Amino acid sequence: MIPKRSVGLILAVITTMLVVANQQEVGLARDEIVYMQNGMRYADWWIGLVKLEHGISKQSITRTFGGPGATDNNREHPPLMKTLFGLSQRLAHEKLGVDEVTAFRLPSAVMQGVLVLLVFSMVFALWGFLEAVIASLLIAFLPRAMFHASLACFDAPIMTLWFATVYAYWRCLDGRKWPWQAGVAFGLALATKHNALLLPFALGVHYLVAGVLSARAKQLRAGAFAREVLLHRWRIIVSLAVVGPATLFVLWPWLWFDTYAHLKQWLVFHLTHVHYNFEYLGMNWNAPRFPWHVALVTTLFTVPVVTLAGSAVGAGVWIAKRRESPDRLRAPALLLALSAAASVGPFFLGTTPIFGAEKHWMPALPTLCIAAGVGIAWCARGLASRSRHRTPIIATFASVVVLAAVVETATAQPYALTWYNALAGGAPGGADHGMNRQFWGVAARGALPVLARLAPANGTAPVYSHDASPAWGFYQKLGLLPKSLPDAGHEEAGIARSKLAIVIHERHFNRHDYLIWKSYGTVQPIYVVRANGVPIVSIYRRP
Amino acid sequence: MSDPPARSLVAVACAVLLLGIALWEIVATRLAGAPDDDAWQRAAAIVREGYQPGDLIVFAPSWVDPTGRMHLGDLIPIDMAARMDDARYARIWELSIRGAQRDERPAFERDVDGVLVRRYEHTPAKVLADVRDLVPSLRVEGAARPSLELAEVGFEPHRCIQVVPTSPVRMTVALPAGTLVGYAGLADVFTRRDIRAPATLDVEVAGKVVASISPGVDDGWVRFETKIPAGDVTFVARAAAPNRLLCFAAEVRE
Repeated sequence: MIPKRSVGLILAVITTMLVVANQQEVGLARDEIVYMQNGMRYADWWIGLVKLEHGISKQSITRTFGGPGATDNNREHPPLMKTLFGLSQRLAHEKLGVDEVTAFRLPSAVMQGVLVLLVFSMVFALWGFLEAVIASLLIAFLPRAMFHASLACFDAPIMTLWFATVYAYWRCLDGRKWPWQAGVAFGLALATKHNALLLPFALGVHYLVAGVLSARAKQLRAGAFAREVLLHRWRIIVSLAVVGPATLFVLWPWLWFDTYAHLKQWLVFHLTHVHYNFEYLGMNWNAPRFPWHVALVTTLFTVPVVTLAGSAVGAGVWIAKRRESPDRLRAPALLLALSAAASVGPFFLGTTPIFGAEKHWMPALPTLCIAAGVGIAWCARGLASRSRHRTPIIATFASVVVLAAVVETATAQPYALTWYNALAGGAPGGADHGMNRQFWGVAARGALPVLARLAPANGTAPVYSHDASPAWGFYQKLGLLPKSLPDAGHEEAGIARSKLAIVIHERHFNRHDYLIWKSYGTVQPIYVVRANGVPIVSIYRRP
Repeated sequence: MSDPPARSLVAVACAVLLLGIALWEIVATRLAGAPDDDAWQRAAAIVREGYQPGDLIVFAPSWVDPTGRMHLGDLIPIDMAARMDDARYARIWELSIRGAQRDERPAFERDVDGVLVRRYEHTPAKVLADVRDLVPSLRVEGAARPSLELAEVGFEPHRCIQVVPTSPVRMTVALPAGTLVGYAGLADVFTRRDIRAPATLDVEVAGKVVASISPGVDDGWVRFETKIPAGDVTFVARAAAPNRLLCFAAEVRE
């Protein structure tokens, strides 16, 4: 018999393996190439430092991690995941022979497994085994999250490290003397993506509420009450305020000099970020004010419907049973709610960039899945309460509900950015509703076999590679494209040089079709890659 | 800890609801999709069989346009794809999916496994003059020079006369009497993003403004219509903001 506590670890390993398998078909994302390239250099710098091949100098750090330009050496994003991508490439690919893309993406996949383990651990400790298993499966089978975890990017890892911070903070509320775990987790989150800067809003409010609950439980009055509210677990505050930033500092050599200026540059970059084009409910958005409901509708359309419905039930259970809730003084349900609110809240302001859609507020998803786990388990127990066959009924019910999330997740891959849930009507329904088609040029992967068949036996046929341009060399290196199909270059000059062309369909990319029509003299693509019938890439051949 | 009976009933009701949602979601997800290439090929064959030169072929909803062009793009010249509007076409073939067809009685209709092939027949507008054909004879006053472009306006293709009016640009041409129908909009999504101000196109006859439109960044391809006598007509493009790629098309109809 497997100990119940070990089930979380098993689910985590399975999740990691599923993500590794899934990423095989997922194309290379535009930003991912940047993270891979910089990650290798970051990793080499650390390896060189450990091997004493070089010391710590302002010059070498600037050359590797910074520079005068706002995006030099990708200095606008903290380095933790990039460094791990690079180290994984050096170890798993160069030493162990794992294919290169998989090696780069392995850290993200492991992070997704870690998330499942953490969700299981917290839910198991608070609500029980059944709730933990369901919540873990629901977080593993989130179609968009599975996709993002399949990339060497930051969006899935920040979901993990955000939740790790929430979990560590909750654990540290037990009054331990050295609550360093909360600070380290927060520092790792900060070193992953700037979303982590929103965490103190959730943790700060929760800390005060937990202080009030503690003061009330101790029946304190006036000054003692206030002192309890502010200082009841003061070591956690110190940990978050000192150990967190210190962890970020240690992991990011770019902060080792001119620290204030570099921190300011990092924050200013994101506070003044350009608004990329994004389609939402039939409109192309590239300037504020954005509709207040973007996060709400996008979440309703990109999380499996059973997970949404289960989370609504779970929230109801939490509210109805608030007086009987386990661990009442640490208010875990409130903590999870605040965590989700802090993650998604800025997207209701109408000014926060919306171009990444759900990937920008993915740290809210563990809360949804945990609530769903609690709600679905409660329903299962209610259904089986008067039966002698409790276990089979509960198992069957939970399996069918989770199966719906599995089916959505399997259907979504590998073009999950085009996928929408059954509520939206799937990918075609999403297109009907005018929801965003995709971004980052990932779908170009599906055009490669068609292009490869068109490669000339002699000479070359330059390809206008559109949004897949940054990945073109990598695709050739991987053998997915013959060398006789080089990248033709950008915009009109590239199209003029090209013999083949692709357009990755996003609404604001329609102009690329028209540029190709003008150059090729035809509006007819020779092939259109589709996801559930929805066009995602057109391939043209010069007549 | 067990729930009281009332709560148990709610739990059972929620369980039944969740089970229903799960089963519906599984089925709906597996069934979601659009017609396959076989259906499109057979639908295209019907169009080819009845096609006459000059017929307009369109696809609905607009997101399926690439699939439609893959199957029938050889029958769609660029100028047809980038037309000003549909008024000059007597016969319009429409291939639609998912109930996106026009709300109009067709002269012909057949469903091919989810691809609805329809043909609409209209009395075409009689075009007396197309300003786009007269670009070489435009008398231009102002710093910017107009040019005929295949432009993206409102995320659609349009063959139109593009001008960037850093100061007002007056374009005069002699036209026959009739109804002047035109459209204008701001080309290029990126300049529309970076500068949010509209541009204006006035139509002047004998020094008097007879039509004026000011398309903004989200307005797309904006229509105007006015009666004109035979003689000089001046199109005046102006914008307070820089880098407005104002693109317009107009024709005189009987």
